[in-house]
Amino acid sequence: MINLGLDIVTTAAILFVVAAGLLITYGVLKIINFAHGAFLTIGGYSALVATQWGISPWLAIPLALVIGVVLGAMVERLIVRPLYGRPLDAILATWGLGIVLVQLITLGFGRGTNFVQSPVQGALVLLDTQYSLYRLLMLGIAIGLGLVMAAVFQLTPLGLAARAVIMNETLAQSLGINSERVRFLTFSIGAGLAAVAGALITPLLSVDPLMGVPWLLNAFMLVMVSGTSLASLAAASLVLGGAQVAISTYSNPVLGSLSIVVLAAVVLRVRPSGFARA
Amino acid sequence: MLRRWGAVACVALVSVLVAPIFLDAYSVTILIRSLLYGSIAISLDILWGYAGILSFGQAAFFGIGAYAFGLAVTHYDFSTLTVVGAFLVGPFAAASVAGLVAWLGFGPRVSPLYISVLTLVQSVIFVQLIYSGGDFTGSSSGLSGFDTFDLDISTWFRIAGVALVLMTAAGFVFVRSDYGRLLVAIRENEQRCRYSGIGSARVKTALLMGSAVVAALAGIAYAAFNDVIAPDLGNFQFGTELVIWVALGGRGTLLGPALAAVLIDYVSAILSGALPFVWQLAVGLVFIVVIVLLPGGLGPAMFGLIRRRRTDVASVPKYALDRVPDRTVFTDGAAAIVVDGVARHYGSLRVLEGIDFTAQPGELVSIIGPNGAGKTTLIRCISDGLERSAGTVTIAGRSIGRLAPEGCVRLGLGRKFQAPNVFDALTVGESLRIARYRFERLSPLRRADRIRLPAAALRVVEATGLDDQLSTLVKHLSHGGKQALELAMVLALEPSVLLLDEPTAGLSKGERNLIGTILVDLVRDHGLCVLLIEHDLEFVREISSRIIVLHQGRILMDGSVDDVTQSELVRTVYTGEAATVLDAA
Repeated sequence: MINLGLDIVTTAAILFVVAAGLLITYGVLKIINFAHGAFLTIGGYSALVATQWGISPWLAIPLALVIGVVLGAMVERLIVRPLYGRPLDAILATWGLGIVLVQLITLGFGRGTNFVQSPVQGALVLLDTQYSLYRLLMLGIAIGLGLVMAAVFQLTPLGLAARAVIMNETLAQSLGINSERVRFLTFSIGAGLAAVAGALITPLLSVDPLMGVPWLLNAFMLVMVSGTSLASLAAASLVLGGAQVAISTYSNPVLGSLSIVVLAAVVLRVRPSGFARA
Repeated sequence: MLRRWGAVACVALVSVLVAPIFLDAYSVTILIRSLLYGSIAISLDILWGYAGILSFGQAAFFGIGAYAFGLAVTHYDFSTLTVVGAFLVGPFAAASVAGLVAWLGFGPRVSPLYISVLTLVQSVIFVQLIYSGGDFTGSSSGLSGFDTFDLDISTWFRIAGVALVLMTAAGFVFVRSDYGRLLVAIRENEQRCRYSGIGSARVKTALLMGSAVVAALAGIAYAAFNDVIAPDLGNFQFGTELVIWVALGGRGTLLGPALAAVLIDYVSAILSGALPFVWQLAVGLVFIVVIVLLPGGLGPAMFGLIRRRRTDVASVPKYALDRVPDRTVFTDGAAAIVVDGVARHYGSLRVLEGIDFTAQPGELVSIIGPNGAGKTTLIRCISDGLERSAGTVTIAGRSIGRLAPEGCVRLGLGRKFQAPNVFDALTVGESLRIARYRFERLSPLRRADRIRLPAAALRVVEATGLDDQLSTLVKHLSHGGKQALELAMVLALEPSVLLLDEPTAGLSKGERNLIGTILVDLVRDHGLCVLLIEHDLEFVREISSRIIVLHQGRILMDGSVDDVTQSELVRTVYTGEAATVLDAA
């Protein structure tokens, strides 16, 4: 029972970390970054490279962040910005970019599945049960990330500008906020967060060129039901992630893997504002 | 025009019939598949290029068709009954899935991006289900070696080729019909469609289901010809390839996507053996470049189809205008509109509170109030059942309940927006034709040559000179022209209650007076009830029979023109802060 509870909160933590970057991009740019999964994969391969080079797995995380942010910045300039007035085309172009990135990874690393080293090994004894230390660490990281993001949104000038752009971009522009710069920074940070998420989840799973896709779909649906609020995203991750764990444990793993997207779709139909406060 | 396209279709038919004689067996085998994909590309182009519904999930429908056939002949027998069964069950299953996805994806207030995500999800679920189907579905290795039709490959080629030519021809007829123009209208401005009484979600659902049937039939043909099916047929990668072909070929051109599908799939089959990842990489890169720099697609860019399409627009058949007999709007003595206790809250913010009023047929009620008084919110609460937080709204004796805008329009409501809300990509004539959707069905085969309008709409059209611009694209109209067109489109709905949000904003004095005269005549001669939001008090005074003053979300005053204009209270509210500041000073 404790195990199930821990599975639920740590799964929610992982989902939160994976979807957070997508959420801020959707909030500020009003497009869904379909290359999010590919950025995640790139983060996973950053961790793989770190392992292959024999450097500390801890360094894989900043490495992924840098690669993700730089790549995100380039993509925003070259692909996303020219398509600002055509959101559906922006989706398509980022999706095309995802295909290109995955093909490049396949060319560079092959189609095979790889494993990376975890920064922490072993398990923690809790009451009468043992639990993976790394998964518990993920929980801490997710909470920390959520708090840092909330602080950036509430306390920094960039956060203020981002909130203004989320609420009313035209008004924000007329108040002298450089919304183009806010979009640029947000997309870059979102891409960086995706890569960090990729680096963080790889010790739990394997690395392969298509690893981003299932995460992408779950993250999409979580963002759809959360609107633009981090608190809603945390709630949605907990509820839907919990459903996924429960269904996988008590019913069937295939059903479990589909439960987030299916339940999120039903939630959106019944309550269009999803987990966000209407 | 028709004759020329007919000739093209005949040439294409003859070509696909004789082509197998000149092609080697390898090419014929590959091209059968490519031609089937061409038909799916046509249906996706109608869905996306015309109606604006971007689907990554057409592959899943293809897979459903293929598995319907494969599973039927594997687990039963290859008999007429089984085959007919597969031909019925496959498309039916695909259409059902499409219906479900549409129900989830075209719900109220969801982002238009959402359906794209859902169709992607649908492909992933399809593959998962096939994987977990064990021996029944053959799991990851699929099904093969089942009994199928004993036809040689040239026959299959001719079947796939003729199907593609017919599909293309049918597609051309459809997109050029009145109904085809409705798809563009929905893509351009779904809100205006809904406020014209068009259940756009239902139209989009039907379209998605139709495209699912086409893909499923192609899937059945593929399974029957290929004799091998695998889960890959329905995965999102294939669904994405279809989107790429349509984008490269040129969305909204039909011919472009069909040719791109056949060509790219054929070249892919030949090249991908040698350079599998490099080829896909190249296609992906070209795709990005085309989306960013050549959104019209490679096909139109290369063959100058864009230019030809422009001449097509100019050669749109000329419409003639007809007048329909006037309807008596109110017969049973019910009030035109009763608003009872309507409130609108956003969280703790109360934008409207306790709004009660009744308006009778033949009244022109102006709603005035300073900015932020809640005037537009009130109009929204009256015209969309999901907007208000409390209270009831009754139109001609029937409550709007939780009806969507199209439902409110069917009760007799017409709403003109503040900024012109029209279809930029359509012509004036097409817009007026679509505005008559409630009364005259749009044909999926033909283009109407006359538009029948009620007297009021006809009068606006004639007085503003729109009757000479029926073939003009709406985006080329002046601001006043667009305002007049929208008013005419709303009047074409023959509403019993007309909601007008600053109809004279940005109009010249002449245009303003004209609209004023028309409104007064409508109210007097046709018993229409008009609710008008206006800032121009002079205009309000000239035409209103009654004035309601809104202030901070409540009704401050409801009385005759004289009562309101002479009221000290109203004057204070309007000059509000200024007066107080002066007093204080």
